[in-house]
Amino acid sequence: MTEVEIAKLKTEIKEVILKSLNITDIKPGDIENSAPLFAKDNILGLDSIDAIELIMTIQKHFNVRIADQNLARHVLESIDTIAEFLIKERENK
Amino acid sequence: MKEINFEHKMGAHCESGTVTALLNHKGLEISEPMVFGISGNIFFGYMESSNFSFPTFIVRNKPGSIRKNFGKYTGVKFHTKSFKSKEKGEAYLNNLINNDIPTAAQVDFYYMDYLPEWQRVHINVHFVTLIGKNETDYLVSDSYFPKKAKIDINRMTKARFVNGFMAPKGFLFYPEYIPGNIDLNKAIIKGIKKSAYNMIKIPIPFLGIKGMRKFARKVVDWPKITRDIDHLSHEIMKITLLLEDQGTGGAGYRYLFATFLQEASEKLNDGSFKDMSKRMMEIGDNWRNISYFAAKIGKNRDLGPERLKELSNMINDRADEEQIFFTDLYKLVK
Repeated sequence: MTEVEIAKLKTEIKEVILKSLNITDIKPGDIENSAPLFAKDNILGLDSIDAIELIMTIQKHFNVRIADQNLARHVLESIDTIAEFLIKERENK
Repeated sequence: MKEINFEHKMGAHCESGTVTALLNHKGLEISEPMVFGISGNIFFGYMESSNFSFPTFIVRNKPGSIRKNFGKYTGVKFHTKSFKSKEKGEAYLNNLINNDIPTAAQVDFYYMDYLPEWQRVHINVHFVTLIGKNETDYLVSDSYFPKKAKIDINRMTKARFVNGFMAPKGFLFYPEYIPGNIDLNKAIIKGIKKSAYNMIKIPIPFLGIKGMRKFARKVVDWPKITRDIDHLSHEIMKITLLLEDQGTGGAGYRYLFATFLQEASEKLNDGSFKDMSKRMMEIGDNWRNISYFAAKIGKNRDLGPERLKELSNMINDRADEEQIFFTDLYKLVK
């Protein structure tokens, strides 16, 4: 994937997350790619219950399966790690 | 720092991940799903007891059973030891590390401070492998963490000797003997039989499929045994944590078991197990729908009788599905 395509994918991930969690006061550009999504000081203010919603949303939207919770923890660490996972999944298909 | 040459790997679950990494280190090439499947650990139980402040459920067999059953079905022997004295427990572990023996320890997960705080909860049955030490720290291989990590020696000792339900008592283990001629195909069949027995034949009314049905019956009455809507919401959201987070495995270990069946199909050269694997993946997806549903209604405090009935029906559907699945699986191996 080119850098432009990766940047586009990251924006898509942010849009999907914001829509799924019904967050309207934050824009994709406000979310840092490398910021830990579940850290207390993250702009999104996510908790562990949001994690399952994100897993389901990512699985459905991008047609992938995140089959165990350790993988999920790693994948959901940041926008960067979600993008890395999706790129790998696409390469493996 | 003294460091044993040990390959760190992430795993789906702490006990199966730890056992697998230790077996690999000792020269047995085997995957984590295979260890999990052979040990017959897929399970369900709805538990109401004085040990729990609120009814709960389990989705795998009891801690320690992965190691024990795997050993029983393959002939692998594990050295195990518990301690009353912290000092003796620490000295014993240090001696093993000094002798280049990577050793698994049972710990309270909360103290593993290399993990972010939001991920850590008090669970006394987490397993990690100790693979090195210096004057102040141990080097740990934790299948939940992407790389090897350091932890303060006093903190680790505290984690090994906490009190409470299923207190670790300094428990540690490592494989000491691996037979040269393990009949893995036979072990796979035994693991599948054990799994099917636990799910459809075990004569205890709160275990296996019967446990799922009990859970489905009881969950609609949870408002009667909770203090208020906040307490009910907390308990409903815990369903998600138990299925997805605690013990990990994801979707109540159904995905891990599905991967085992996929690998079993290749080992046994029998396509039927591949079909069963696909069915189990779908069952895992359906459990994940329950995780999602519980998280949603719990978070939104949408917990009226009709929602709880909906949740109950979803659990009953899983019971129906797994009843058929494990009956079919048992037919393949009996």
